[in-house]
Amino acid sequence: MLHVDSLTKSFPLDDGVLTAVDDVSFRISPGEVFGLLGPNGAGKTTTMRMILGLLEPDSGYAEVDGVRTAADPMAVKSRLGFVSASDGVYPWLTVREMLLYFADLYAVDATLAEQRCESLADMMDIKHLLDRRAGELSTGQRQRVTLVRGLIHDPPVMLLDEPTRGLDVVGVQTIFDYIDILRRGGKAVVVCTHRLDEAERLCDRFGLLHAGKLKYCGTLNELKEQTGQASLVDIFVDLIRN
Amino acid sequence: MCQKELRETMRDRRTIITLVMMPLLVYPLLSMALNRFLVSSTAGTSEQTPYTIGVETDDEGSLLLAWLEDPMSQPPAAILKASKGNLATFRVVNTTSVGLHPKQALQEKKIDLAARIELGNPPRLRLTAFNGDPASQGAQRILTERLHWLRLARAEALAASQLTDYTPPTDVSVENIGVAEKPSMLGTIVPLVLVLMTITGAVYPAIDLTAGERERGTMESLMASPVPRSYILFSKYVAVVVVALLTAMANLLAMFTTLWAGRLLPLLTGGEDAFPWLAVLQILGLLVLFSGFFAAVLLSLTSFARSFKEAQAYLIPVMLLSLTPGMLSLMPGVTLNGPLAIAPLINIVLLAREVLQGTAQAAPAVITVLSTVGYAAAAIAIASKLFGSDAVSRTSGQSFGAMLKRPTRSTPTPSPQAAALTLALLVPIYYLVSNVLMRIVPELSITWVLLLNAIALVLTFGLIPLAAVVLARCNFSTSYQLATPSPLTLFGVLLVGLGAWGFAHESFVLAKQMGIGGLDVDRIEKTRQTVEALKVAPAWLLVGTLALAPAVIEELCFRGFLFTALRKVLSPTRVIVTTAVIFGLFHVVTGNMLLIERFLPTTLLGLILGWIAYRTQSVWPGVLMHFTHNALLNLATKYQDKIAFLGEGFENQMHLPASWLIVLSTTTLTGLAVVWFSTRKPSVANSNLATTPA
Repeated sequence: MLHVDSLTKSFPLDDGVLTAVDDVSFRISPGEVFGLLGPNGAGKTTTMRMILGLLEPDSGYAEVDGVRTAADPMAVKSRLGFVSASDGVYPWLTVREMLLYFADLYAVDATLAEQRCESLADMMDIKHLLDRRAGELSTGQRQRVTLVRGLIHDPPVMLLDEPTRGLDVVGVQTIFDYIDILRRGGKAVVVCTHRLDEAERLCDRFGLLHAGKLKYCGTLNELKEQTGQASLVDIFVDLIRN
Repeated sequence: MCQKELRETMRDRRTIITLVMMPLLVYPLLSMALNRFLVSSTAGTSEQTPYTIGVETDDEGSLLLAWLEDPMSQPPAAILKASKGNLATFRVVNTTSVGLHPKQALQEKKIDLAARIELGNPPRLRLTAFNGDPASQGAQRILTERLHWLRLARAEALAASQLTDYTPPTDVSVENIGVAEKPSMLGTIVPLVLVLMTITGAVYPAIDLTAGERERGTMESLMASPVPRSYILFSKYVAVVVVALLTAMANLLAMFTTLWAGRLLPLLTGGEDAFPWLAVLQILGLLVLFSGFFAAVLLSLTSFARSFKEAQAYLIPVMLLSLTPGMLSLMPGVTLNGPLAIAPLINIVLLAREVLQGTAQAAPAVITVLSTVGYAAAAIAIASKLFGSDAVSRTSGQSFGAMLKRPTRSTPTPSPQAAALTLALLVPIYYLVSNVLMRIVPELSITWVLLLNAIALVLTFGLIPLAAVVLARCNFSTSYQLATPSPLTLFGVLLVGLGAWGFAHESFVLAKQMGIGGLDVDRIEKTRQTVEALKVAPAWLLVGTLALAPAVIEELCFRGFLFTALRKVLSPTRVIVTTAVIFGLFHVVTGNMLLIERFLPTTLLGLILGWIAYRTQSVWPGVLMHFTHNALLNLATKYQDKIAFLGEGFENQMHLPASWLIVLSTTTLTGLAVVWFSTRKPSVANSNLATTPA
């Protein structure tokens, strides 16, 4: 479903070059939740942006559903859903108008978009908010609206960038439920986070990024075997220290 | 997308304040202020606003009034007629009754003039006026004049009664002829108001729809959607233009209604107190131009900003700078001509003034509109390049310098933004080059004229797109469609070229019959001179400069560079039509002249060439057809005398003989059919838009 192969990206700095992502490769199958983990500056967001086609890789490629980002970024974008913790809303539009606007951006048929809007709103418990102005919503309600927004075009692959950042317990649980829905819906999911405890509960497989390199990749048991450490936190701490 | 942008903007209460509250409040207040100003500046002109003269005693007042009421103090009939029989009125007050000496009252500006009369023979009148005060100076001047008339009339009456043979030195009578010119402030004030109105309307939505996306946190999800940035930017542009238009219209409506209700309209129109519907319609048309320009410029700046504050910091200098060209409309003697016709903003301000004064000329007006459209397109191209760059790049923002950097990797074809920027550069450069050529042509031989024309063509339509291709590291072969066509295709386009000149000629005649352009006496003479000059020029020079150079350069530019750039975002039909219209428009503007009759034939030729480029996926067939077409037309002109057997049609700008039309039509249609057959399975999928993995 999602295939990342030897992705590399460098940025010129005043005093040299920063290789933000260095030869990163992984594959994700439908119904699988992959945690892309790493401390701040590890290269998670840059990897995500290259998959989305927002950044052009120096070498390597990302392939979504058989289409390479470099070959046809628009086709790849239409197959991807993207939700970020910093996502905002259009305060002067109603929730329904905003969701239908994004459906229109993804060229979803108007009738189908209406139906998806209703069913997804029902699923995320925001049906009663559909005709309210987005600017009037609480933080938790806005979060649920953006989660629905990411799914309005029914993408086969979902990218979640730090989805739990700044959320309270209820908000985090909403994300957990959401990812569970995605898994059951057969979506390939990439979750970028540095919250290891949450990742351990959420993800089926993990990729540990550090200084742009993918140091380890596999299930929790595979990682424990590879590193000889007892938990994800221990693996992570060991990785950063050594 | 446009609907969403408009909905979002129009619901925002800050837009509503600019759109509704400003016009509702500002114009009535301005009108009240204007009324006050007019009341004070018209002192003495009516009974409601008399000049006030202060005296110390009631006797002085009575004497002064007696002089003023004496019919002999009235000016002669000729002067009275000039002021439509209106006499300035005076009110005499005793200032001591309120505890003030007349001079004291004047110092405190409670009166316009202080008067003191010393009784004697004759009585002596001493007037005191306030320096620099128009009302005081006016009162002093008119009172002195009135008393002067009184003295004169009494002296003349005395002379007439004493001397039987008394005759005045002369008897003056005055007659007025012609229609009085009514000075109109519309042409001077309105362009400046238009600048202010459209900027006011466009500023907030421009910031909100660009920098606002970042502040709301909606930018990243917008950039992640499968819509080209140029589309997103264009929808925002439409929204900003609409809001700017609505704001300006609300302002206009409020301004005219307030002035009309306050009976102040004649001040603006210089005419009757009727609502100036025609001027309002003209202003609405001009508003589209102003809004389109400002919306694009403001969007290009706000797209660069990362926050509301940053955007405001960018826009304030722009708003102040915009006022300077706006002031040009107040300056007499500056006309829309020469380089001013392509100077951004200055040209539309001057065009607005000339339209409202009824002195606008077609050629500079069209050049102004075209160059403004070009500048707006370039600004939107820049905006779409900058917009969302921080959501894309790793760092927090992208600089203008980074935007101009050469990409590290090559791309197959130029971007639509690069094409828009190139066109925006081509418009002023082509205009300047053709103006320079027109200026030096009369002093040169035909050989030099033809050579310079070809060099100018290479330098503009050749080098500028080439520079864009090189800078953007585009592949030459795919950018210019340099693929080799089949021999059969080339044979087909040769046939089209052999026949198409007849259609060009017929559409030219048709345009003339429909009254579009055509040749006036001056142009017929110039054309005759050109034809005579072409007859003596060597054939190789004619073919090289008027057929080969335009065929190669124009095809590479329009059916190569522009065609492949637009193909990224437009359907084949739209690309063919767009490139043909642009091709036609460039042929219309030559120097300061506007050869409108050239639009139809060149656009028609552009349509055929565009279709051939699309079918063959190559620029070379178009080059061959363009070359054949131009060579035939120019050689036919050169050897006009020797091909007189063709009939008189060609020579005298008349329709061709029917037999020739049939032959030419058959040749063209056969050629088109051959092209169609030889390219029956064109690879219509654009390589850049291929959806299959590499």
